[in-house]
Amino acid sequence: MLRLTDIHKSYRVGPTTVDVLKGISLMVEQGELLSIIGPSGSGKSTLMNIMGLLEQPSAGTYTVGETKITYDDDRTLSSLRNRMIGFVFQQYHLLPRLTAIDNVGLPLIYRGIDEKEIAERSTEYIKKVEMQERSHHKPMELSGGQQQRIAIARALVGSPAIILADEPTGALDTHTGQEIMNLFKRLNEEEGITIVVITHDPKIAAQCKRKVELRDGIITG
Amino acid sequence: MIIKANIKEALKSLITAKQRTILALIGIVIGIGSVIGMVSIGTIVQNEALKQFRDMGIDIVSVTKDYEDQGGDKGFSIDDIYSLPDYSPLIKKVAPYIISSTQYSYMGQDLYIELMGVDESFFDLNKLYVREGRLLSDLDRDRFFCVIGAETADMLRRVGIRKLIGGQFLFGDRIYTVVGILKDLPEGGGMRPSGINRSAITHISTALRAFTTNDITTFMARVNTQDSKTVKDVIENYFNKKARGLRVRVRTAEELITQMQKQMQLFTLLLGAIGSIALIVGGIGVMNVMLISVTERRKEIGIRRALGAQRNDIETQFIIESVTLCFVGGIIGIIMGIVISYVFAHFSKWEFLISQSAIVLGFGVATAVGVFFGYYPARSASRLDPATALRE
Ligand SMILES: Nc1ncnc2c1ncn2[C@@H]1O[C@H](COP(=O)(O)OP(=O)(O)OP(=O)(O)O)[C@@H](O)[C@H]1O
Ligand SMILES: [Mg+2]
Repeated sequence: MLRLTDIHKSYRVGPTTVDVLKGISLMVEQGELLSIIGPSGSGKSTLMNIMGLLEQPSAGTYTVGETKITYDDDRTLSSLRNRMIGFVFQQYHLLPRLTAIDNVGLPLIYRGIDEKEIAERSTEYIKKVEMQERSHHKPMELSGGQQQRIAIARALVGSPAIILADEPTGALDTHTGQEIMNLFKRLNEEEGITIVVITHDPKIAAQCKRKVELRDGIITG
Repeated sequence: MIIKANIKEALKSLITAKQRTILALIGIVIGIGSVIGMVSIGTIVQNEALKQFRDMGIDIVSVTKDYEDQGGDKGFSIDDIYSLPDYSPLIKKVAPYIISSTQYSYMGQDLYIELMGVDESFFDLNKLYVREGRLLSDLDRDRFFCVIGAETADMLRRVGIRKLIGGQFLFGDRIYTVVGILKDLPEGGGMRPSGINRSAITHISTALRAFTTNDITTFMARVNTQDSKTVKDVIENYFNKKARGLRVRVRTAEELITQMQKQMQLFTLLLGAIGSIALIVGGIGVMNVMLISVTERRKEIGIRRALGAQRNDIETQFIIESVTLCFVGGIIGIIMGIVISYVFAHFSKWEFLISQSAIVLGFGVATAVGVFFGYYPARSASRLDPATALRE
């Protein structure tokens, strides 16, 4: 479903270039629960940004579903992001002014869906993450674990092909982190949702069906 | 749909950043307020000036001896003027007059007064009415009677003279008995000779004998046609024949109105331009606030982009926010402008009117300012790299 072939990414920092990804080839199949594990600075987030179409690789090819990404048209990229990909971030990244339910509905606004349907679907997904009691709370009024559930509902609401989660438990205590992992596992098992979890915690990685190790910009295992 | 959500979002974010929003609003309110105020005042002034023409009718012309004429400094002959209506059916009525400025001295104080000589039809043509006493008629021929203007009456009362009607005054070097006081006239505009408020008016036959200058250089006439070209030709030909070489200048109400309207347009434009400067300053304030808003919300922009917002969506969002800001400022500004022009009209004792085109203009300008000054911040927001924005 996602196919990365020999992906390179380097950044210019002043006069020097930093090679962050040095030839990554990776396939993610439908229904997978995959973890990408590696030490800090190994390029995990950079890889996720490329997989999530937030960044353009310096070299290599990337195919999402049937579409080979060409990075020349903002509309196409935005639309692919909107329909194919759901992001979950370490810092939750909810919009502070919006209520939980409005945060969940955000991706649908950019699809031009009408208000009533957005409300229905947001309610459906907020139930799925067991947060219906907190629908009208602002993010500030929620605990970290609760915010992360809202963020997961937001990632799911548009029925994307894949969920990309960058250290989703990184800001949570072990117990709450485990709850989030349980939620991912349930979604993967019961609904067949494809999930990629980025982590540097071996215990988290161990709970995934497949594990990819990243070290210094290359896949080592 | 996206637009509606955007407006809601815009209002929320503007309310969240209260202080900044209020600062930007003040700029826009002052800008739009001055444009609307200035344009409204222009309209009120224009309306007032035109009203004086409406009062007097636009069938009045004023004929002056052309001073560039070489034919000596002889004025019109009064008989020539009076036989003009017989010469052409286009001329219905004529009213010759002469003016001589003078001082009236009373117990060491000097009052400046326009001494005028007119005939009965002058009062009719100029729509002059008395407040007290009576007007002059042609029966007052050769008699030293006068009516005085409202301001003259006030000045005389101020220096302590109580008895005006029936009182005797030394104007110039003759003594006149006051028989009436005229109603106050609005200042300027129209075809009326200026200074009637500050005048003492006697019959023209008296004036021709008593005044130091007795050249008739001007007369007014009521005409029968709207065709100012024909009227001009008729009058010019008449005097060319009657008094060899006497050249005249004919000014019609129509000409004056056109000329005045041009001046008024210029005046309104000037006032509008002054207001526009305030508006530009306000617009720059909006741009500033929007730029800060974009900087503060880099992360929000990154999140929205990650969720599938196109550059266009981000651009639209910020432009709508800036337009919303300007629109709210516009509404308050329009109200402020109307209040300003109301106060202006109230203190000038002029008729207040709300110029609808000014309101439409106000909303139009507010929107335009919002789009114009919101464009750059919105564009820079849409160009933000989402990955960088999210990393912060
Ligand atoms: N925009 C950028 N410009 C320059 N260097 C960058 C940029 N983004 C990332 N890097 C560098 O790339 C390397 C990998 O960063 P990345 O965020 O992908 O690491 P990570 O594996 O996610 O680490 P962590 O576990 O700490 O999140 C780092 O050395 C970082 O400094
Ligand atoms: Mg990272």
